[in-house]
Amino acid sequence: MQFPALLVVGLLSSTFAAADEPVSFSRDVLPILSANCFACHGPDEHERQADLRLDLEADAKKPRDDGPAVVPGSPDKSSLIARLLSTDPDTIMPPPKANKTLTPVQIETVRKWVAQGAKWERHWSFEPVTKPGGSIDELVKAALVRKHLALQPSAAPETLVRRLSLDLIGLPPTIEQAEAFAKNPTPAAYEQLVDELLARPQFGEHWGRMWLDLARYADTKGYEKDLGRMMWPWRDWVVNAFNADMPLTQFTVEQLAGDLLPNPTEAQLIATAFHRHTPSNDEGGTDDEEFRTVAVKDRVDTTMQVWMGLTMGCAKCHTHKYDPISNDEYYRFYAVFNQTEDADRYDDAPRLPVLTVPQRTEQGLLQAAVKMKDEAVKQTAASDAEKAAIEEMKWKRPTAITATAKSGANLTAQEDGAILARGKLDNEDTYTVTLTLPAGKHTALRLEAIPTKLPDGQLGIGRKPADPNFVVSELTVEVLQGEEASESIKLANARTDFAQDGWAVTAAIDGDLKTGWAVSPRQREPHVAIFDFAEPIAITAESKLRVTLTQNYGDKLVLAQFRLTTSDADPATLSPRFESPETRQARNELTATQKSLNDFHASLPQLPVLRELPAGKQRVTKTHKRGNFLDPGHEVTADIPSAFGMLPGGASPNRFSVAEWLVSPDNPLTPRVWANRVWARLFGVGVVETEEDFGALGSPPSNPQLLDWLAAEYRDGGWSLKKLLKTIVMSDTYRQASEITPELHEADPRNGLLSRGARFRLSAEVVRDQSLAVSGLLSLKQGGPSVMPPQPSGLWRSTYNGLKWIDAEGEDRYRRGIYTYLKRTTPYPSFMTFDAGSGEVCQVRRIRTNTPLQALVTLNDPVYLEAAAALAKRMVTDAKDPSDRAARGLRLALVRPIRDDEVTPLVRLQQETHAALANAPDDAAALIKTSRGDAGTIPPAEFAAWIVTASVILNLDEFLTRN
Amino acid sequence: MHPLQDQTRRHFFQTTGLGFGAAALHSLMSSDGRAAAASSTKEPMIAPRAKRAIYLHMAGSPSQLELFEDKPELKKLHMQDAPASFLEGKRFAFIKGVPKVLAGQFPFHRYGESGQSLSELLPNLGKVTDKLCVIRTVHTEQFNHAPAQLFIHTGTPRLGNPSLGSWVNYGLSSVNENLPGFVVLLSGGKTPDAGKSLWGSGFLPSVYQGVQCRTTGDPVLYLSDPAGMDRTLRRKMLDTLAEMNHAAQQRSGDAETLSRIAQYELAYRMQTAVPEVMDISKEPQHIHDLYGSKAGFVSPAESADDPRVLYKGDDPTFANNCLLARRLIENGVRFVQLYDWGWDHHGSSLGESIDETLPIKCQQTERAIAGLITDLDQRGLLDETLIIWGGEFGRTPMLQNNVRSELKKGYIGRDHHPHAYTMWLAGGGIKGGLSYGKTDDFGYYPVENPVSIRDLQATILHVLGLDPHRFSYAYQGLDNRLIGPTDEGKVLMDILA
Repeated sequence: MQFPALLVVGLLSSTFAAADEPVSFSRDVLPILSANCFACHGPDEHERQADLRLDLEADAKKPRDDGPAVVPGSPDKSSLIARLLSTDPDTIMPPPKANKTLTPVQIETVRKWVAQGAKWERHWSFEPVTKPGGSIDELVKAALVRKHLALQPSAAPETLVRRLSLDLIGLPPTIEQAEAFAKNPTPAAYEQLVDELLARPQFGEHWGRMWLDLARYADTKGYEKDLGRMMWPWRDWVVNAFNADMPLTQFTVEQLAGDLLPNPTEAQLIATAFHRHTPSNDEGGTDDEEFRTVAVKDRVDTTMQVWMGLTMGCAKCHTHKYDPISNDEYYRFYAVFNQTEDADRYDDAPRLPVLTVPQRTEQGLLQAAVKMKDEAVKQTAASDAEKAAIEEMKWKRPTAITATAKSGANLTAQEDGAILARGKLDNEDTYTVTLTLPAGKHTALRLEAIPTKLPDGQLGIGRKPADPNFVVSELTVEVLQGEEASESIKLANARTDFAQDGWAVTAAIDGDLKTGWAVSPRQREPHVAIFDFAEPIAITAESKLRVTLTQNYGDKLVLAQFRLTTSDADPATLSPRFESPETRQARNELTATQKSLNDFHASLPQLPVLRELPAGKQRVTKTHKRGNFLDPGHEVTADIPSAFGMLPGGASPNRFSVAEWLVSPDNPLTPRVWANRVWARLFGVGVVETEEDFGALGSPPSNPQLLDWLAAEYRDGGWSLKKLLKTIVMSDTYRQASEITPELHEADPRNGLLSRGARFRLSAEVVRDQSLAVSGLLSLKQGGPSVMPPQPSGLWRSTYNGLKWIDAEGEDRYRRGIYTYLKRTTPYPSFMTFDAGSGEVCQVRRIRTNTPLQALVTLNDPVYLEAAAALAKRMVTDAKDPSDRAARGLRLALVRPIRDDEVTPLVRLQQETHAALANAPDDAAALIKTSRGDAGTIPPAEFAAWIVTASVILNLDEFLTRN
Repeated sequence: MHPLQDQTRRHFFQTTGLGFGAAALHSLMSSDGRAAAASSTKEPMIAPRAKRAIYLHMAGSPSQLELFEDKPELKKLHMQDAPASFLEGKRFAFIKGVPKVLAGQFPFHRYGESGQSLSELLPNLGKVTDKLCVIRTVHTEQFNHAPAQLFIHTGTPRLGNPSLGSWVNYGLSSVNENLPGFVVLLSGGKTPDAGKSLWGSGFLPSVYQGVQCRTTGDPVLYLSDPAGMDRTLRRKMLDTLAEMNHAAQQRSGDAETLSRIAQYELAYRMQTAVPEVMDISKEPQHIHDLYGSKAGFVSPAESADDPRVLYKGDDPTFANNCLLARRLIENGVRFVQLYDWGWDHHGSSLGESIDETLPIKCQQTERAIAGLITDLDQRGLLDETLIIWGGEFGRTPMLQNNVRSELKKGYIGRDHHPHAYTMWLAGGGIKGGLSYGKTDDFGYYPVENPVSIRDLQATILHVLGLDPHRFSYAYQGLDNRLIGPTDEGKVLMDILA
């Protein structure tokens, strides 16, 4: 195949300086040296050969045994040139084993550069951005004139309106919009149209989608289980940010470091989910630290990639071979991102509940209800106090108390006789309490569990703050003679005010350590248990009673505070309830309301966000040898790579200062990378084609001055995307007609010179949205959880994941593509077919392909069938005559005026299909049914034929192309 | 005819002649010079030893100690505490503390002229053992399923890189322009752990991604025309579309439109070609007997929430896929990837044991695999087809102990073992009847000829005529390769015929 070889020569000749032109180091020479020499003579100290660096001027020009590599003005004395020209396999460079060969043209370029004085420059993209004079059109024309070309006239008005609408909001214009402009195609009318489109809420959906690719947005976590997680509040933040034209500075700082801003707003915290899109691995048996470090590396790589257009990834294992990023510098930058709390946990903590306006109202109501019920409990409880006081008279406090815990926890008696547990906390514990009892009769023992303030500031009766329940597995009572037990007291019965289901209080005296008394879900209230002695004890002198509370459920479910008292009353008269039925009722209501509030909070979207570790808990960062987190090297401190200078104002390196550095006016890369990215979306290809690589191996800008003009315009215009877009789309360059003549193809085959308007296939989402729009099915509902439009059944078969895809009905079936649920391991198939990504890693650009599978999607995917049926309905409703109906459908889709001869094939197809289907009524009915069509009063065969006709329209190349 | 159109058309038909993948190339050329320049490697880079490959991946990872590695020493230590050397400094997925050593659970026999020793669970594979090169010392860097599967299939344990099949498709493309160059078939009731990422094209153009062909529903997504549309009507519809697209192309001069017209024609032909190749009902009975396949069978396990509890030894789903693999490569597909899920035999729950589930999985697969080798051989295709079999790692010589430490029927299991496990290659370019590499007495570590995943990847590319060290794709400032940035991966010349 010859074409690629020709193409390569073509590319070279476009960048290769003509004979009389000075050779530019950064433009012409550096790419050659980078690609062919730096692997062994570049920044990487491990691979470096002959102690020679060709990336440093001083090194290349210093004296060596065989003479300096480069002697300015003297190619004949430069060993570099001698080596390049050598035919001896022992001395030729690059050496044969490198599998790299310079073309004679490349060698001549290097030679000429040396002859012209070997002037050194930095790689072009690292040079400061200064704005060239002129305008977009002047800079483009200057390049065209050299090839004896000129700008094309403006595209036809309707075509231009369609182009503009698809580019700015990702949706086609209405015919009315196009006609209005066609009647009055003045610059003022065009500008007004631009302003209107930029102000549409659909703008943020279209341009936000671009950012979603870069941010690796998805609705699931990735890897084996690939469970869902709620990331959509961040997606809505992005759409809003684009619609509000948030300056890139703010857009950057809030996403990278919103949590580090003073008193961050909810929106600023939501923004930080940008770096929580990193996949997390819930597979059983994974090492969370491994996948935490993977996520941090992803953040490092993605940050450099999307703002600076550079690949950091290589420096994970070794110093970058081509760009100035050392292995150490990688981990210094890594240290900046290594201080967030998240750690590949199953629950994706830390997370932020995100509330909509109605949810906020609901939350307020529930909180008020809880407060009200709480008051009610307090009121009735007060009236209970009197009764309780009488009941309390029946109970006698011991005269002395000693208590020990098996765990070594401190048990201390309080003035009110309560025993408080503090200090050591084991999973299980046994409390031994010795009570000194006065002489007299004792009929029962009472155990009160008394709420106390736990370390988290909340009340609880058990010691574990997250679940302050307890389990008394067994309670035994003995009378002591000295220190020895003289008699075990038989317990006849046990009663309580409350016991958890399956954990009755009688289980505490059944002799079985596996059962016991517990009180969930009311583990924050006081509880009482009464244990009746089988026989009353009558003691004549002061005696000691030993009570043993065995709590061996595990999981730290042990009592935090309790009191033991005895009674001399008839056990039948003793009640464990302090509370009146009213209080009980009020308390039940409080519990129920509190549960509603808890359930409500649990149902809220919980958005994973960034949160910095507190000062005392920050991680020490060490390098990972060969990128292996299990093999730490030396310790490093946070910083940016030194090739990019210092942080502005000497700030200490953290996510906030790094964010500010990325968008500081001195940063040469960020404005170039972003302006190029915007240009590429409008022209199909960037000024720098390798949007993802502005480093030494990336493609050079096709028009360097144009790129710098755009970058400066963006940066100096307050980093406003809408302003930049407006400037570009107002240019004559943008408005050119896109027809390709043989002469233009010959002179500018890939339109690198912008000798005509751009033509390219629409993106996956726009292909779908456009069909829905022209058929009238599209829902413009914005925001909220992602939706599931129809996809073939049985696709989701993820391991250990019960999540189901259920085809949406109603308007969610026809929402814009940005709202389609994206599962990383099984992405929505028709988007994948049209080159969309899976959101697993940062995707800088989608490489467009043209495949038969795409044809199958737009022919047979139910979305497109339903769109065809809906378009057919519009055609037959809006017009009567078959030609008019066909013309109407074409006009709706293509926007431009339709010529008579274009209608002919459609009418013929409709008529022949109608005739065929008239003899196959079942087929006609089936077609209408599968495409959810509504024939109305039209005979089914006729309507089905219009569906087929509409399907042709939705598959036209012109329809799928932005031209 | 218009000279430009004539030129683009001529060019177009030249490129489409190269196949399904190459058809997309035309559009790449007009918009992405690098992609186009990089894709000039449609001819093999070096003399190929095989023209195509079938990769049988047993997702979950079968136990080498029950199937290929007969280790009598393990019997001596059976149910004793594992020696410290097994455990020190190791990370395990599930094993905690000190587990017990577990002897191989099934007897071994010698098969074929080469006398290779195979488990009694593999009687049919034993009949073709002289065709197999059994590599006993494969070691990987990953011990969790998804990362390990990604590593062996894409060269990194992380998401977002092209799979082996995509690389091969990109390097060689399909021979049949009506079929994709890289086809994926699934069985076992679940997708493999890392999902579609295993057959994604990563940074390669999406045209090189694997196309999953299904045995229920549309064999290729959206392949079937809607109910009510017969072939005549579809043809008529596409004729109208082509007529209108041609007219538009006359006005715009855009060669991309010609490419699109051709893609619709390809799609139309695929609509016949794919169902034809996917239809095994016309295969003669003796062929079905050879594989154990059964046309039209829909296994209940394929739609169950937990398919493992429904596994039956005579389930022909995998066998059907093996037969399909033969039909696909016969029809020019370059790379057929089978994933069979359900080999993760930890013994911690029902349907995942060494003693009960593994024999069922062997019944489901080993006759079919032997049938595939025999069938390819009798058709003269085996010499041109590379077959690869294996999991993403091996299993420990110890009983997994996190659920129970005693032996219980139906719950005997082993944990993940990355240090040494068995894979085999067969067919084009491979020495048959060879046992390569040796592990220690417990099958824990290689002691002779260790084989890394990168070695394996380098060898597979080499056999298919792609130089693993030079075969690369420029992306994000790097010449990316399947075997990674270092030259550690070596072609295993010793196993090549």
